[in-house]
Amino acid sequence: MKLCRLALLAVAAVAALACGGTGSSGPATGSTITLGAPLGLTGALTKESLLTQQGYSLWSDWINARGGILVNGVKHPVVIKYYDDTSNANQSAVLMQKLITEDKANFLLGPYGSAATATDAAIAEQNQIPMVEANGAAQSIFNQGYKYTFGVLSPANRYLQGVIDMAATLNPKPTTVAMLSADDNFSLEVANAINTYAPTKGMNVVLFKKYKNGATNLSAEVQAAKAVNADIVLNSGHLQEAIAINKAAKEQKLNAKIFAYSVGPSTPDFITALGKDADYVYDGSQWTPQVKYTPAFYLSVAQYVAAYKAKYPGLGDPDYHVAESTAACLALQRAIENAGSLDPKKVRDALAALDVTVFFGQIKFDSRGINIYKPMVVEQIQNGVHHTVFPANVADAQPQYPTPNWDQR
Amino acid sequence: MFLIAGAILAGYALLAPLTSLDAAVSANVPLLTDRLWFRIATYIAMFIVMATGWNIIGGITGYAAFGNVAFFGIGAYTTGMLIAKAKWPFLAALPFAPIVAALFAVLVGLPLLRLRGHYFAVASLGVGVAVGELVQNIDYGGQPLFGGASGLFLPIYSIDNRGLFFFYLMVAAAAISIAVTWWVLRSRFGYGLIAIRENEEAASVLGVNTTAYKVAAFALAASLTGLAGGIFSQWNVFINQDNAFPIEYNVQMILMALLGGTGTVFGPAAGAVLLQLLIQFLGGSLPISFDLPFVSEAARPIVAQVILGLLLVGVVIFVPRGVIDLFGGRTRLSLYYLRRSLRETSL
Amino acid sequence: MADFVQLVILGLLAGGVYVAVGVGFGLVWGVLNIVNLAHGALVIIGGYITWQLFSELHLDPFLTLPVDAVALFVLGYALQRGVINRIIRAPLLFTFLLTFGVNLVIVNILLMIFGSDFRSVTPSYSGQGLELGSIVIPYVRLASLAAAILLAAGLAFVLNRTRTGLAIQAISSDRDAAQLVGIDLRHAYAVTFGLGAACAGVAGGLIAMIQAITPTAGEPYTLQAFVVVILGGLGRVSATVVGGLAFGLVEAFGQSIPGSGSVFANAIAFGLMVLVLVTRPQGLMGRLR
Repeated sequence: MKLCRLALLAVAAVAALACGGTGSSGPATGSTITLGAPLGLTGALTKESLLTQQGYSLWSDWINARGGILVNGVKHPVVIKYYDDTSNANQSAVLMQKLITEDKANFLLGPYGSAATATDAAIAEQNQIPMVEANGAAQSIFNQGYKYTFGVLSPANRYLQGVIDMAATLNPKPTTVAMLSADDNFSLEVANAINTYAPTKGMNVVLFKKYKNGATNLSAEVQAAKAVNADIVLNSGHLQEAIAINKAAKEQKLNAKIFAYSVGPSTPDFITALGKDADYVYDGSQWTPQVKYTPAFYLSVAQYVAAYKAKYPGLGDPDYHVAESTAACLALQRAIENAGSLDPKKVRDALAALDVTVFFGQIKFDSRGINIYKPMVVEQIQNGVHHTVFPANVADAQPQYPTPNWDQR
Repeated sequence: MFLIAGAILAGYALLAPLTSLDAAVSANVPLLTDRLWFRIATYIAMFIVMATGWNIIGGITGYAAFGNVAFFGIGAYTTGMLIAKAKWPFLAALPFAPIVAALFAVLVGLPLLRLRGHYFAVASLGVGVAVGELVQNIDYGGQPLFGGASGLFLPIYSIDNRGLFFFYLMVAAAAISIAVTWWVLRSRFGYGLIAIRENEEAASVLGVNTTAYKVAAFALAASLTGLAGGIFSQWNVFINQDNAFPIEYNVQMILMALLGGTGTVFGPAAGAVLLQLLIQFLGGSLPISFDLPFVSEAARPIVAQVILGLLLVGVVIFVPRGVIDLFGGRTRLSLYYLRRSLRETSL
Repeated sequence: MADFVQLVILGLLAGGVYVAVGVGFGLVWGVLNIVNLAHGALVIIGGYITWQLFSELHLDPFLTLPVDAVALFVLGYALQRGVINRIIRAPLLFTFLLTFGVNLVIVNILLMIFGSDFRSVTPSYSGQGLELGSIVIPYVRLASLAAAILLAAGLAFVLNRTRTGLAIQAISSDRDAAQLVGIDLRHAYAVTFGLGAACAGVAGGLIAMIQAITPTAGEPYTLQAFVVVILGGLGRVSATVVGGLAFGLVEAFGQSIPGSGSVFANAIAFGLMVLVLVTRPQGLMGRLR
């Protein structure tokens, strides 16, 4: 903690890039590395941005407790400069520019949300400063040929594929899928992927319905899903819509063997909002506290969960937004160490060549800059507690299948 | 009047000492050489264009349009589509932004401008929201016509000193809009518009073709706003419904016109400069930093928003004629002035 | 056929919430000529009060509605008397901007107090409903509709049968004449806004039961209030009731368009509003002013 405050004071006075070093007894302390992070700390994306900030902070505390990032025998303390973009993508761009120009940020950490990420990626590209992001999964960003943006999270189209894979192993095997999707970029990518993927596993998509992003009244959509009587009901959207659909499903007696929502069930708010009605719901998650990866450096999964609970008590387990944000920092750290330099181009090349496993999973970027190598896992809420149910090698519980009808719960 | 012009120029000039002069870039006598200032100043210029444009229909003609951001988005998407899909060069695509926006304004204005007062305001709001939704969601042959939810990505404009280029472009647009307003207020057209604002029936009786004048004013406002949108699309490289049709811009451009003084030439510009600087200052993006006592680091952005809201409320209550009133030389900011404005508008 | 009936029922039930949101907004707009952009924020305050009472004291949410009404009435009265009254005589635009500032302040204060977590009120009987064959009528939504109708009826009663209400109506016809007959304008204005806020509070309580709330969740309701009031027509509470129910139906049917049709629900609603304004500005049931 104290080192953090000292580092903050250092930034206020000095912001030089020079890699100093005296190097006699032990690693010397070099200049401060500044990382920039514009987040939606007010506005519509506050909740998720705060989770992102938690992830970044957990790492910065840990690295500064060790003296900083080791570059060629010199340790450089780290400072993360946060700004509030009020959940406005244009403001995010202004703040990115400020981070680069005024605050002399060495590297950039991503904002929350695909819209802000797309805008900021262009700026990172124009200024040729690497940006590692963990919260914008839309593939369109990575199809633009940008060389300086890297995403540690699995791309959007993977989000619900794990659920289909899991369904294919269950008995009796479900055959029909109703796909509901919000109409924003990220959600549509998730949903469109299911459209093409499900048939390859022998399941028919019998309903594909888009609705307005942020809608709170989804009775008509649930009614349509009820009419087709599908085995699997999937939703691709956000927390607000996941809650609305689950409530409507109970009210309108929509029953299915599997209810899976792409975003929402992994946050504690989902369970506190719905109580017992949240049981049996599945979700595709970037990471859960039950995964069993062996980290090359930084904390193990169990240690990470403990560190989160120690720093943010009363919030339960860390959800994947926190974990993926920490992973972004870890990727940057390892790339800097590998490059042995703070030069943006060298670090960029080190990022492109990175291949390391941490508590979050394997971090390796394809030629477009996104991490297609880390699998998604499937969670299910059982008796108010999250359990990982798929794939089998990381599962800590069996899926409770099929989901009982509402009347029989 | 010169005082106002001077004030605005001084505003820009003031920024110069605060920037870090990059010796390699100071070739073209730019007041600003710092990329951050380019970006902020370009934003300010963009809002000057929008606020001044709104002023033509809202301030001079008295029809408070509440959905002008639709024209911004239409301009942005026009240029965006021409560049991204039809592969036109930027400077060829740009003139079409104001043209298409103006055409849309004529189309929509003919039925809408028959409404008065708050009905017109609400109707224009409705159009503003509906257009944004339609542009995002219209499909053609199974694919989104305008890029859909993933938005439109434009190629990064290849030119040396990009920031400077877009800054000058946007400032040129701002200069055009101010010049247009100045010309309007001095022309017969402008007198007709003011007449419509003061008493539409009387104006019509006196021979003013109110429908034509109103639609023309609306189209003029739309074209200026569309021009800002067109420049924005290439400058920002990425457009989608959220950043091309942001609903809060509607309120912001009106607020700027009001703050500065509706119906005047430089009022909206002054308001735009003031409000944007304030928003950026509170958002922490200016190189000047400030500290809020008693407030934790985490709560700072929220408190900043509260302060912004309170300031807005204060200004609307105490300075209803806009700050331009204070630059004209006739009135001074004093307690007497504040009390008098209060008495004029309160119950 | 059963599906159609179910859709109509769902639309009407959803319409109940819109009625509650709209009556307060319409009252303030119709009588005071104030377009309250902070209306959504007031609604959410009501939602948080209900949530707080439900989770701390385990009160049935419907019992908390009167608390919402009283609390928001006081807040609204103070807001009008202290702040909004200062710009009453200014052009309409100023109220837009003032209430925009007020909205900013309220939303961020809520953010400071409650944080950005999503909260929802889920009473033990939520999800259960009346089953008539294959048609389901959820209890919570049915009770919300009833509460909204009661609210509207109560408001109409106050406006038509109490002295305060008649004073309010007098002001809306002719402000100066009302002053001449001795009505205390400042008080009457404040009471009107307070009533509008009270309705918003009740609406918030209903909304907390139906969706998850967060400080910024009120914004869409302000926009929807516009549509409801225009559809129904300014001027009478019964007109807003019709507008709210109609909006619920439009939304339900708009969202049931197969495939991607439902993403146009917003565009349809606003397009409808513009159409009404252009062709029949007094709304389905209002009087032309």
